[in-house]
Amino acid sequence: MVNDSGQLYTMEGIAAGLVMLLTAYLILSTTSIYTPGDTHIPDMQLEQLGSDVLAMMDTPDREGEESQLVGFVKNGTGTCGGDELRDEFLDNCKMRSDDPDENLRAQVYLSYRRSDGSVNTTPLSSVDPEFTGRENAVRVTHWVHLPPGSHSIPNIDTSRPHAVLVEVLLWRV
Amino acid sequence: MVALIAVASMVPGLLAGLQSSGIDYDAVAYRTGVILTEDPGWPGWPVYPPWEMKDQYHKDEIERMGLAVSNETPNILLSTKIEKFFNDTFFTTDDYRSKAIFGEIPYSYNITLRSLDGRYNHKVGQETPEGYGYIRRVVKIKEPSVAVIDGSLKERYTISPGDNSTTRTFTVRLDFSRLLNASIDPAYRIDPRTEPVNITITNFEAFLNGTTSNATLKSVTFRRGSSSIPFPYDEDDTDYYTLRIDNNPDLYPPEPGVAVSSNISLVLKPAATSLFELGPTSILDIRFTFEEEEDYPHTNITGIHYYDYNTTNVTRPALKPAVLEVAIW
Repeated sequence: MVNDSGQLYTMEGIAAGLVMLLTAYLILSTTSIYTPGDTHIPDMQLEQLGSDVLAMMDTPDREGEESQLVGFVKNGTGTCGGDELRDEFLDNCKMRSDDPDENLRAQVYLSYRRSDGSVNTTPLSSVDPEFTGRENAVRVTHWVHLPPGSHSIPNIDTSRPHAVLVEVLLWRV
Repeated sequence: MVALIAVASMVPGLLAGLQSSGIDYDAVAYRTGVILTEDPGWPGWPVYPPWEMKDQYHKDEIERMGLAVSNETPNILLSTKIEKFFNDTFFTTDDYRSKAIFGEIPYSYNITLRSLDGRYNHKVGQETPEGYGYIRRVVKIKEPSVAVIDGSLKERYTISPGDNSTTRTFTVRLDFSRLLNASIDPAYRIDPRTEPVNITITNFEAFLNGTTSNATLKSVTFRRGSSSIPFPYDEDDTDYYTLRIDNNPDLYPPEPGVAVSSNISLVLKPAATSLFELGPTSILDIRFTFEEEEDYPHTNITGIHYYDYNTTNVTRPALKPAVLEVAIW
């Protein structure tokens, strides 16, 4: 005996399949999975903050004056004077309209061309005691124009102007 | 079967409708941060008058509110733009949305600006809830210059002996071709068209004539080259100017006719300067006239003080470090 009840079962099967697909789709679309790809947002905020601070420290407060950053870089390599640069940098980064953002740490490096032509990279600030090397740090850089004249950077030709690279590792604890 | 096919073909449409579009609030906050700190707004530099000088009747002409001094000076903010932007009785929530935040969605916002010394502490918007997009920008604020004329300049501004005139005039001269010199970085430029001009005569006792204890300030007038500029405002028009005498909290009209014993402070606002029709090569003279009724002159002040880049003539405040925060949700 042939009848059309099979057709009903088929329709029911298809409808059930669609309902299951829809349910699976809704469940998947409502959960958000935090993937490493999304970590760029806090990183971007930190990078923007760091590069703003370096740019502002390299802007003289009055016309014709030397910028704060140039002053720190000129004297920074002598007896860990770079700590002052790091502390000033962090003070600027921590500024907020309410309580300061105390969880930031930084480490400053300086790269420059020595008088023999080779490039030297030296830490400007003393090493943070809690630094493990596995921090999720961002790197911000700023080229600083140093006028000719005396400064404490070793093996550099002081008779001509220089462009030196200040590099800051910035992370949250 | 036809019904089944119809239903099945509608399912993709149903799914598309259910798809939620996540809003990246951080990106919106970042965009607002960039507009506020790196852009002078529109109309704005180099177009004149800039947005911050638009009044209630011309508010619709403001397209974008940026706080930067010029488009060459990112992160250097102009104090007059800051004061205008954070005036939330002038701007409505919709204005902030349509001229600073942008986008079709009516976002909620909280924008704050605080300087390191606490002089600026502004906020607009609502309290922030849990979970919002955020950006923090470190900036510097440019403030208007001040010409302070004190007793140390007495030798420069005293009449020569034997001068029998009965009226004393003292002029402060703004030479726009000198001030708006393109070789001066906009971050340090004196621009009377966008910033207030502050003139303070202190230690006025030094300029008094012998035994007198005060002199009468008859008028403060404005001249463009050799022609005088009509100035129909009075002490209530604080958007245009303020005139204070002897540290008195009262404000005075341009023809005060009052006795001055210690100091005079005049602030000429850009709203007034914009009406003076000054070009990039104009010369604006601000003239203080002293005259006594039926008496000999009580002051010996005279001469022309140049409002320029000479540090003994005008003090330009140092740029102030500050932080701007934008929260969007």
